[in-house]
Amino acid sequence: MAETVAEIADLLARCALRDRKAFRTLYERTSAKLYGVTLRILHDRAEADEALQEVYVKIWQRADRYVPGSYSPISWLVAVARNHALDVLRARRPAGEDIDGALEIADSGPTPEEAAAGKGERARIDDCLGRLEPDRAEAVRGAYLDGFSYEELAARHGVPLNTMRTWLRRSLLRLRECLSP
Amino acid sequence: MSADDDISGPDADRAAAGEFVLGLLPADQRAAFASRLASEPKLRAEVASWQRHFSSLDAAFTPAPAPAGNWGRIETRLFGAARGRVSLWNSVPFWRSFSGVSAAAAIMAIAINLASPPPDPNMFAAQLVAALHAEGSTVSFVALYNPQTGQVRLTALSGDAVPDKDYELWAIEGDKAPMSMGVIPVTARSDMRLTPQVLAGFGPGTVLAITLEQKGGSPTGAPQGPIVAKGLATPV
Repeated sequence: MAETVAEIADLLARCALRDRKAFRTLYERTSAKLYGVTLRILHDRAEADEALQEVYVKIWQRADRYVPGSYSPISWLVAVARNHALDVLRARRPAGEDIDGALEIADSGPTPEEAAAGKGERARIDDCLGRLEPDRAEAVRGAYLDGFSYEELAARHGVPLNTMRTWLRRSLLRLRECLSP
Repeated sequence: MSADDDISGPDADRAAAGEFVLGLLPADQRAAFASRLASEPKLRAEVASWQRHFSSLDAAFTPAPAPAGNWGRIETRLFGAARGRVSLWNSVPFWRSFSGVSAAAAIMAIAINLASPPPDPNMFAAQLVAALHAEGSTVSFVALYNPQTGQVRLTALSGDAVPDKDYELWAIEGDKAPMSMGVIPVTARSDMRLTPQVLAGFGPGTVLAITLEQKGGSPTGAPQGPIVAKGLATPV
């Protein structure tokens, strides 16, 4: 696994240097994972296909924004794919907007202290989610993995929108306390 | 989210950062939050921390083989219909397409020219100037060739040093491969002596380009990094 991470980081660096062969190899290594992301969030093959293409166009154009050491390169790629899929979802929703949030998140690297602490904190989220009430943990997972909006989460859990929002925001604060005591 | 709960102060930002990463903020709040990120490092760190924590859930995204035709479509979108691997570096029309010297850059070049000691009229006639810039790049230079000294004076107008990288200057003459003129500092003025090889074909129409290369410049003698600025040598 460590080898894979180093290899993907190297491929990304070569993409930043406009190496098309490296880009093709990167696609071969990572497209199944990223397709899994667009498919899960968009539920529609045609849309997921199209989104996947756009994701790789972005990866090629912005490969230089990946800063080695700040995130695992695979997490960075997943973040690009996930954020793009969320943008597609938002555009589909009535009050749609298409701010491209795709790389804003991934751009802000951690401070050196955070990076040093990084390894330990990564494994903790499952544990911390496990300490929330099961339906609240499920709501957080649904937002991250399925891109559910507050409206969808409220409908799924049979609670009013404002209740869901309060639940979720409080859950985030409890999570954060558990993650960074 | 404002205020239908009693979360306030730093907690409100922490929760909002989590909502931002999850993609839960409505459009207007999302835009407002994103615009704060540029100027608030604490908020960026908060977002980065949420992103890292949530990314350990990524294992739940089950891989699925991408559709067979997708790679070809990505290639076409990025590199056009021709899939032959003709390098742009070797394409004369590509370089000739950067023929314009923008008026503003030309004015700046002349201003620099006037600031130097009164030139010999003959020398002045033979001087060449190139304004080097590229769309989407913050790097720009003005290059002034002085035939008496055989040097190109390069003045940085804008651009930042990049850690562990160097800017390298190239000359492209006719349909020959780019020739390195050396690594250049981005924050200072530098004089580059032309090698006999470069000098042989140097004149109006020579294209100067700057690429971002690994520290010390491209190890292969051919450009490898992205073009951050380019311009055409033009008589002044």
